[in-house]
Amino acid sequence: MSGTDYNYDEQGQFFPYFILTVTTLVTVPTTISFLRPSKELENTGTTIDSDFTPEHADLIQGQRKKQKRLERRIKRGLLMLVGWAMNAAMVYLILVTARTTPDIWNPYDVLGVNRNADEKAIKKHYRKLSLTLHPDKARENPAKNITLQTINDHWVDVTKAFKALTDEEIRNNFLQYGHPDGKQSFSIGIALPKWIVTEGAGKYVLLIYALALGVILPYTVGKWWYGTQRLTKEKVLIASAGKIFREYDNDQGQVGVIGALSSGEEFNEVLTGNKADNGLSKLEQKVLSEGSESLVSQTLTKKDRQKLVDLEDSRRRKVLTLLWAYLGRVELDDETLNDEKFEVAPIALRLNEAYTSIALAYGNTKAVLSAYHTSQNLIQALRPGASPLEQLPHFGPTVADAAEAERSRTHLTIQEFMRIPDAQRKARLVDAGILNQDQYSTAMSVASRIPIFNVEKAFFKVVGERFVTPSSLVQFVLKGRFFPSSATDVPEVNPKDLLDIDPEEGDVAAITGRKNDRSGEKPIQPPLAHAPYFARDHAPRWHIFLADSKQGRIAVPPFTFSTFDKPILDESGNPTYNVQTLKMQFGAPPQAGSYTFVMHMICDSYIGMDTKMEVTLVVEDASKAEEVEEEEEISEPEEDSIAGQMRSLKTGGAPPRKRRQANDDSSGSDTEGDVESESETDTDTDSDEE
Amino acid sequence: MWPFSAIDWVMLTVPIAYLVILIGSLGVFSNLYRKRKAATAASLEPWFPPHLQRNVYLSLLHMEDPKVPDSILKAALLRRATEDIHRIVQVRNAKQALQVLLQRGSVGDDLWQRFQRAEKEIEEELRDVVNEANAFAPNWGQTIFQSASEMAQNNQIRERLSEITSKTAAEKEWWEKRKVGIQSDFMKELDDEKDGVMVEKK
Repeated sequence: MSGTDYNYDEQGQFFPYFILTVTTLVTVPTTISFLRPSKELENTGTTIDSDFTPEHADLIQGQRKKQKRLERRIKRGLLMLVGWAMNAAMVYLILVTARTTPDIWNPYDVLGVNRNADEKAIKKHYRKLSLTLHPDKARENPAKNITLQTINDHWVDVTKAFKALTDEEIRNNFLQYGHPDGKQSFSIGIALPKWIVTEGAGKYVLLIYALALGVILPYTVGKWWYGTQRLTKEKVLIASAGKIFREYDNDQGQVGVIGALSSGEEFNEVLTGNKADNGLSKLEQKVLSEGSESLVSQTLTKKDRQKLVDLEDSRRRKVLTLLWAYLGRVELDDETLNDEKFEVAPIALRLNEAYTSIALAYGNTKAVLSAYHTSQNLIQALRPGASPLEQLPHFGPTVADAAEAERSRTHLTIQEFMRIPDAQRKARLVDAGILNQDQYSTAMSVASRIPIFNVEKAFFKVVGERFVTPSSLVQFVLKGRFFPSSATDVPEVNPKDLLDIDPEEGDVAAITGRKNDRSGEKPIQPPLAHAPYFARDHAPRWHIFLADSKQGRIAVPPFTFSTFDKPILDESGNPTYNVQTLKMQFGAPPQAGSYTFVMHMICDSYIGMDTKMEVTLVVEDASKAEEVEEEEEISEPEEDSIAGQMRSLKTGGAPPRKRRQANDDSSGSDTEGDVESESETDTDTDSDEE
Repeated sequence: MWPFSAIDWVMLTVPIAYLVILIGSLGVFSNLYRKRKAATAASLEPWFPPHLQRNVYLSLLHMEDPKVPDSILKAALLRRATEDIHRIVQVRNAKQALQVLLQRGSVGDDLWQRFQRAEKEIEEELRDVVNEANAFAPNWGQTIFQSASEMAQNNQIRERLSEITSKTAAEKEWWEKRKVGIQSDFMKELDDEKDGVMVEKK
């Protein structure tokens, strides 16, 4: 079976090298990826610590640990260990077999002369040796195991070496090819041990081959392929995305969104077997019955509740009721039910991402807002319409009620509450006996550390231009500062910070954003969301989008920001009030005019910190921009330079080109379509700062 | 016999077995795969729930004894058309969004297939309604959907209205309470002021 031209590796000299190379190729990257700390925002952010422990903190901790266990890279670790063990074995084999390989006869070594010694030196050395090594001169020495035989053999060797070296041809051969006989025919071998192809082993090798190609390869490829097909871009099961799409409705509020999320298939993995309707009746009674003190029944209208009860699938009914129990922070008096209550929330948040992307595809402002608000509710474990104050530790509905004092329909946000003088706040809560001093100070310390992004200025601009011209690439620049919620004596903004200065014309690195990407520095990340009831760590993200208020549609899809370019807190933990710059790019409408958008900025983790602002984009006619340019006294660029050509293009020096450009403009359908065609979320935009 | 005795039959079976296993497994795979695909295609959930209004209309139409009067049939047809309006609006709204989502990979292929089936179904349904309407009165088919959409809008507005009016009782109650609260606060403030004034006078 073996080919006559190829030698198998009989002494096992080479196949360890081969295997070592292959396993190293696999093992080293695996090790690097195993040991590298995760770069996810959730793992790098700081937390807002407080000594507040919510009810069932042990269950929430248990859920967190469960997630950690899932995230642990066990398989990778095992692969790494096996790889290194194999490497070690191969290195051992190499070392062991290296000793058995014979050395090539080297006349220089035998004579003990330098390689570049010339003939004269060699002859001289040989004579010197003959004085001591010649059989007539050398003495037997049994103690050193030197007999007549060995002396003779050695002398023969030395003479041979001398002859070889004094012969011009042989010496040259040796110097050129490393072998006295001249150029050696090199042989190609197969770095596999011979036993693989010997009679008995053949069928096992064939079996392994068949297993590898016939079973393992199709299995892994199939698993990978169907694995990628099972999940959508948002890492949600395809089936769930389909169901949520069917449940989607433009006009439904957060209650509807939560209903839609409950259709996700992911919950089936949690509520398997008889878990699917265990304790359902108890749960429904606790959460939904009119008489119970749970606030969920007040949040849900009669219609919503009917819809929930009418659900045919008991698993889905349980999921939805659990979600409401979580959002209403309802005590369920049952360990497993409470545990499940905390387990469903993170899943729902993941599904909510799929819902958000569907809402964005529809482009309806109200639906997108509902989706974002649902994310806030899920992270803070608060029902829709709850007071934002309940995000603070120890604040329940009654506490929030007392804190708000004015029994109005709208709730106070945390920052509004913190603006009330401390004495008054205390009077409402501590003096009235609702919270004790410790609880109050815990809540206040958390409240003062929740960062709020305060927009100072928002404007549109085109890099390098004075006006926004039709169809140009507009930057929406948002300047703002992080305040702690309790900030009272906020320093004035330095007006210089609110300007957005274009980089120098020649500064290509700055224009492309390469210079300021701060790859060396870590981007600044606000602390993780303070969410004691949510069984995961969550890094807050800020979504910014522009909406057309007249049509109730989204004009510029959201850009998401999770890291910022300037520190929020200094070393001692005090706020720096640095002005942060956020930028998003989109295509300007093709017609001149002024367009009014409503800018929404929504933090996905905290309730009541949304910013809504009207911004106007003034698109000037292209001719106006030219006029200004002509008024300015710029030295006329050379006709053959690029600038000159650009100029002649702009001023109509090349009429045919210009006409074509105009045509291009008019072909871009209507205003909205053009604006919407901009790509979706891009987290990197904050990196290119002035 | 010479040619056969020289053949090593056992060794010959090896390549033949190889070919048989290879082709056989490929055949089985393709067969199973196609069957499964057909089964999933057949078991795709319908996009819309059963069309109740159409069923009502059809059963009324086929009632022989006693024969249903034309006016009732027409009303049933209008109801059917109204439901169709709801559906067509849903389909039209969903189409663009679904295309975007499909491109981005946010939804699966089978949803798109289900959607296309629903689209075709609703087209057929519309054609059927037009034909039926024309059978009742010539050229009614051209206007039936106009009336149906007006009916649908009317319904929507009424629902919205009733939703708002259903809130009045609760709102009223809340306001009464608030009013009483404000009043008592004012009285208290006035009393305090009086006391203060009296103290000052002393």
